[in-house]
Amino acid sequence: MAHRRLRLTRRRLALAAFALALAAPLKAAAFGEGGAFNPRLLITGTREPSPRRKTAPGRWSLEVVHRTSAPARLVPTQVRADAVELLAEPFAVWAGSQAPESLTAREITGLRRFIALGGVLLVDELEPSEGSFIKGAKEQLARVLPDGSPIVIGEDNVVFRAFYLLRKATGRVQKDAKLEAIIRGGVAQVIFSPNDLLGALARDAGGAHPFEPTPGGESQREQAIRLAVNIAMYVLCSNYKDDQVHAPFLMRRRGSESP
Amino acid sequence: MTESWAFSGDLGGAFIVVAFCLGGASLVLLLAELFGRRKESAAGLLVGASGVLALGLLMLAVLRPVRVFERSNNVGARLLVLADASRSIDLPADGGTGSRRAVANRALASLRDHFASVRVAQFAFGRGEPVPLEGNDVLRQPMPGSDLSAALEAVARGTDELPQALVIVSDGRLERPSDGAVEAMLRAALGRLSVPIHTVSLATEEPRDASVRSVRLAGSVVAHQPARLEVEVACTGGLVCRDLDIAATELHLGEPSVVRASGVVHMVDGRGTVSLEVTLDRAGRRILEVAIMAPEGDSIPENNRRFVTVDVARDRVRLLHVAGRPTYDVRSLRTWLKSDASVDVVAFFILRTRTDDVGASQDDLALIPFPVDELFTKHLQSFDAVVLQDFDAEPYGLSIHLRRLAAYVRQGGGLIMVGGPNGFVAGNYAQTPLADVLPVSLRGIPEDQAVDLATFAPTLTRAGRRAPVLEPMTNLVGERWPDMPGTNVVGDAREGATVLLEHPRRRTASGAPMPVLALGEYGSGRTIALTVDGSHLLQFSAFASESGGRPHGAFWDAMLGWLMRDPRFEPAVVELPRGCIAGVPTTLQLRALFAEDGAEADVTIERMGSGEKLKQVHVRFAAGDAPASVDVGSLAQGGYTATVRLDRQGSSAPSRHDFACEVGGDEWADPRPDGARLEAIAKATGGVAVSYDGIAKLPLPRATRVVSERRVEAWLPPWSWTALAALAMGGHWFLRRRVGLA
Repeated sequence: MAHRRLRLTRRRLALAAFALALAAPLKAAAFGEGGAFNPRLLITGTREPSPRRKTAPGRWSLEVVHRTSAPARLVPTQVRADAVELLAEPFAVWAGSQAPESLTAREITGLRRFIALGGVLLVDELEPSEGSFIKGAKEQLARVLPDGSPIVIGEDNVVFRAFYLLRKATGRVQKDAKLEAIIRGGVAQVIFSPNDLLGALARDAGGAHPFEPTPGGESQREQAIRLAVNIAMYVLCSNYKDDQVHAPFLMRRRGSESP
Repeated sequence: MTESWAFSGDLGGAFIVVAFCLGGASLVLLLAELFGRRKESAAGLLVGASGVLALGLLMLAVLRPVRVFERSNNVGARLLVLADASRSIDLPADGGTGSRRAVANRALASLRDHFASVRVAQFAFGRGEPVPLEGNDVLRQPMPGSDLSAALEAVARGTDELPQALVIVSDGRLERPSDGAVEAMLRAALGRLSVPIHTVSLATEEPRDASVRSVRLAGSVVAHQPARLEVEVACTGGLVCRDLDIAATELHLGEPSVVRASGVVHMVDGRGTVSLEVTLDRAGRRILEVAIMAPEGDSIPENNRRFVTVDVARDRVRLLHVAGRPTYDVRSLRTWLKSDASVDVVAFFILRTRTDDVGASQDDLALIPFPVDELFTKHLQSFDAVVLQDFDAEPYGLSIHLRRLAAYVRQGGGLIMVGGPNGFVAGNYAQTPLADVLPVSLRGIPEDQAVDLATFAPTLTRAGRRAPVLEPMTNLVGERWPDMPGTNVVGDAREGATVLLEHPRRRTASGAPMPVLALGEYGSGRTIALTVDGSHLLQFSAFASESGGRPHGAFWDAMLGWLMRDPRFEPAVVELPRGCIAGVPTTLQLRALFAEDGAEADVTIERMGSGEKLKQVHVRFAAGDAPASVDVGSLAQGGYTATVRLDRQGSSAPSRHDFACEVGGDEWADPRPDGARLEAIAKATGGVAVSYDGIAKLPLPRATRVVSERRVEAWLPPWSWTALAALAMGGHWFLRRRVGLA
């Protein structure tokens, strides 16, 4: 048997990407990283992302790398809605705890082009008890996509079986077991999470979780991480798990689950 | 010089008849008058005689008779001989000695002797206008078809002197006039030409033979769907046939033939039919060989097999998409494939490796096992193409199937290898059977140098700028490509491959620019190597947004189209205007698309099965749209592939045309001579039907007299006749007065 020399493994590439990102975070990704999952935080108006949740995208990527074969950017970036960089990758996370500022014309144009090219936008409510961000985001997105209105998606949607078999959506809190989405061409392009998904993922500098999931605690956090992984796989594979070849397996497993 | 006379030198026949009628009537009136008045016999006789004389001279004065001096000769009648030059006359002659062609040539010589006194012109006919046989020419090479009606139409509508008779030399196996409608079809062909058609039959005996009479496809053939081949088999000449084994085999280039169906034909009274179910997996032009196992004593083994060209349509492209890990590149390609209604994609993405810690039980996962063995054994042939995207062959058990995958390509399957950290050398494909069907070499590349992390923008090669397959994309974005985040490292393009995109800086070991996008053709299949994993940037990037993300679809649509031999992306079209007859020089016609005037091309002819390269020809296209003709020489019976590369070797993607050469084709399928049809032709036109040894019985058409000099002299001057007539009329009047008549 031939001696196997140094191989390019996924983890080595992830580490290389991590190092590269630290060294030159604004440069283009290395080979194999160009198509890596990157949960970029979307910036609109003058508001900065929640400081305590800035670590959530990195954690999200790390979970994706640990749990799946997918590559992910361990040091995700931020992107402005009116910047041309928004069109560099097909995924962004728009999160907030209060109603967003009214989108500027340039931001509307940027988001409209992002969606038109096939981008996926996750809208995450960081203050589920109030829900003002999601409400405001829907109003603003109605200006971006006048012909699209959110609909409820549940466990029959591919997002709930993109990697894990999930019965409900969750996050830092358990406000709503379902998600909402704006479906275009049969594909969910804007997903609304009302449960503060980033809050469940966030960690502080010491590695501790700054937010305690309620009411389910760590079990709920695990479910939130699984949902985040599913969203990542949905972004990377689209509706792959809707393929007919998967149907009998998934039906069997769904059937074996306890209600 | 001959001498004769005529009643008149200037009056037409009608006037002469009128003159004689009037003269006769006058004579009758005169005799009636004489007998009515009962004159004495002597006087009456005298009056009558003078009257007759006066009448005769009056008529001569009116007609003025002349002497005619002529110089003339007899010219033989024009007779056309139409000799059947189709492939059927290469069948054995009576008694199995020699061919019917030899008999035909002897018959032509006999006809020249027999009709030595007439003007004979001999023609050979096949399909279309007959071809003249000059002097003592004989029938040498077979012509396609045997359409006598077309030959007769050409004769009847020709501007040459019309013939007085026609002689057909044939074995009676004619396309037209067809059996049962001989008279009507002859009438339609000849139009106003009404001449006897004599026939000379070249054979009368049925050869002892078993043959595949016909092969018909019931309906159109669609890839992956069963189609029915209706095959008719017959035995003639007393050959005893019972059950005959039959097989339908698909031919491939450089690969063994594959038996698609087999069966037994049950023969009853020398005839039998069988319906074979064949399923062809590859769309495009395919060559099927249908062959029977003939019993001993078969005198014509060549017609035991027929080659059928089948244009296999594609309902949908059935494509297997295998990706080593989910990325935006995988997402983009999948999204495009799923959006194309003409593509039926079966996808398997590796979502979890053995080292991934999913933190959940199997039942909590929506993951299914990757059925690599099942896919690449049982189901592989059901796919039109396979896409291996950033996929490592080793950990997922694909390595043991690479030989099968390479054979799949050679048998007509398509393969696309898309780059990534697990592609090409990094994916353990070097030194495997699959590497032999990739358009780029993977030799001599260390594993630790299998990828190049440097960002670059691929550049179009000269071939890439001209290739129809990149035209849809260049129409959108020109020659620009977005920056690619690194590439797999590959070697030189393999022989016969076409490089469309290359690395602007990186060189192979030979010093050539490293290929980034290369196309290749191996056996009957095609492969594409794309060494980057950034084609998604054609769909989603600031670059792509300038054209609405359409470059990605344009690029992959063309790639898949080329892989599936979509004519839109073929740089050249190959045709065989006269088909291919085994043993007869064959001519190909090339039409170059998207090539400027004066373009050149290399044409390679290879034998299917063995892959033996038989001929390589270099041709130059003329200005304009005129096709280039390529003489490929005489080919033996079998299937062939003509591969055309425009410009010079490797400069364009190859265009391929599969074709078959048969010895006899349809015309040997039924080797029996058809004397009855020849007799019907002769009978319908008033001709005579004879066999090749009865040419002496053919009637000779009458010769034509041609006057070369003619001189007319009056016997007497006109006034002399008038004076004599006046004197005679005066004498007659005097005698009538003397005997008391008015």
